[in-house]
Amino acid sequence: MFTKILIANRGEIAVRILRACRTLGVEAVVAYSEADRESLAVQLADEAICIGPADAKRSYLSAPAVISAAIVSGCDAIHPGYGFLSEDEGFAEVVRAHGLTFIGPPPQVLERFASKEATRRLLGAEGLATIPGSNGMIRDDLHGLEEAERIGYPVLIKPSAGGGGKGMRMVRTPRELEAALKICRSEARAAFGDDSLYLEKWLEDNRHVEVQVAVDRFGHGVHLGERDCSVQRRHQKFLEEAPTPALDEAARAELAERAIKAVVSAGYENVGTLEFLVDPAGNAYFIEINCRIQVEHPVTEMLTGIDLVVTQIRIAAGEPLGFSQADVTLRGHALEFRINAEDAEHDFRPSTGVVERYLAPGGPGVRMDSHLFTGYEVPPFYDSLLGKLIVWGPDRPTAIARSLVALDELVVEGLITNVAIHQALLRNEVFLAGEMTTNLVDRVGSASFLAAAAR
Amino acid sequence: MPDRDEAARLADHAQIEGLADDLLPALIAKLGATGLGELEVHEGSWKVRLRRAADGSSATGRVASRTTRVAAGHVEHPHPGSTEPPADPYRTAATSPAVGIYHPRPEISSGSRVRAGDRIATVDVLGIPQEVVAPVNGIVGAGLVESGDAVEYGQELVWIELISTPPERAGRDA
Repeated sequence: MFTKILIANRGEIAVRILRACRTLGVEAVVAYSEADRESLAVQLADEAICIGPADAKRSYLSAPAVISAAIVSGCDAIHPGYGFLSEDEGFAEVVRAHGLTFIGPPPQVLERFASKEATRRLLGAEGLATIPGSNGMIRDDLHGLEEAERIGYPVLIKPSAGGGGKGMRMVRTPRELEAALKICRSEARAAFGDDSLYLEKWLEDNRHVEVQVAVDRFGHGVHLGERDCSVQRRHQKFLEEAPTPALDEAARAELAERAIKAVVSAGYENVGTLEFLVDPAGNAYFIEINCRIQVEHPVTEMLTGIDLVVTQIRIAAGEPLGFSQADVTLRGHALEFRINAEDAEHDFRPSTGVVERYLAPGGPGVRMDSHLFTGYEVPPFYDSLLGKLIVWGPDRPTAIARSLVALDELVVEGLITNVAIHQALLRNEVFLAGEMTTNLVDRVGSASFLAAAAR
Repeated sequence: MPDRDEAARLADHAQIEGLADDLLPALIAKLGATGLGELEVHEGSWKVRLRRAADGSSATGRVASRTTRVAAGHVEHPHPGSTEPPADPYRTAATSPAVGIYHPRPEISSGSRVRAGDRIATVDVLGIPQEVVAPVNGIVGAGLVESGDAVEYGQELVWIELISTPPERAGRDA
């Protein structure tokens, strides 16, 4: 096991990783930017080190700053969390070159899965169905138009690097494609420093289902079931749950088993998530793998009782998984609500300022992963995630009933949050029937969605 | 006050240079050694007044606390809600441009006269030196960290004692 871990992230995930380190009895150092000097992670930490100014490019995204901080504070491993440097294989390689361990897949594994397009081919060859898409990256507009014609509209433009909906657009006509390619290129370049794009056939009324896997260095892997992340707004997930209401028990087990078999065979290592689109007929198409701990990992922790961050650290330290598929039992139903500082009534504009009052909800099966406290000032430089409310129940209706109570109990004063849209979802007939698709909110628009719920 | 000729102004400048180079370092050392609150010296038409920082913290005390902080983490961090001490009108600290290992420049030592922007030290980030620059014109004062120490971004490294504007000069601009 490591002796000391540098936590190179912020917000709720920095707190979550700190807790995992403490559970393992490993010392941790919280790396923070000037804007996060008063953050909860820094306050809870035994040791913290300022790595740069508020601008993430010079702090959380700066490989030299992060690695230098790890070295001068005597760390032997770096946990990148999610976002920032978490899936940067170049960073992982430099970390290794300095004699430190990157907590995540080893650099050579990250490199193998770095390109989404190459990964689709790799795992396609391991038996996972993939969505019809472009043959490689789009070279220029003409190539894009030809490929879109061959695949058939509508198509989805996707960046090869990164995630989170940036650089992604669905287009229905050649004219829309030409305009969107330019926007996606610049968005992808700005967000990931890589503007390569590819096309995928757009499936109408699809569901987003992902399988959580964990594979140790010895090729011993398990799946930890799936999560449904169909509730999205402009390709950004904001409510996740498990099990997915989209598939029956046999179909879920079959999907998860195919996924773990494919990634073990392709040489994956550490925790990871395979994302699938599921069409109305129940066919699952592999779209991408996330080689990091995900925002929505607690949903799986609630069902399995397995600490995924601890598992991730153990695997990175070279330890065997220590449990087998037969030891993994999925119990009950869990939902996760991303609590964002954004104004649903004004196009989800981010809201920043001082948290005048914060009260976390409680009760059976209720977990709040958040970095908020009364008096905390939300800085304007980073994403708008304030925390995640995770609610477990023995079945979906109970989990939903508990969620309504918990959302009502949650108090965040001083900022505008998206709690209202979660409450609207929990009263939406399509959602209650478990029939939500990725366009549930966008089809009608968030405003109408909220208005309909208010009536 | 009537405008003076060029020669008189140049003579003033030369006198200020002399003060800054010779007199101020000696006075700063004297102030530090005696524990006095304030020193005032008159020379020609100029007057120099040095006043100790209001918090009364000694330089050695600062070094100890900063070192503890980097070694043991946030223990020394101010808690949210605590107010920062007021800016010291007589000195200001040069801060670290990065997280790394601190090395002062050999030619710079306590008493050296520096101008804003002068390179006074480096912080090594993975072997690449990043320049520490003087934030203001002044005299290099007490160091807050030792050569070879680990420092974080924005950490105060060395005091720069300010050379205050003589009152006569301020009066002329009025």
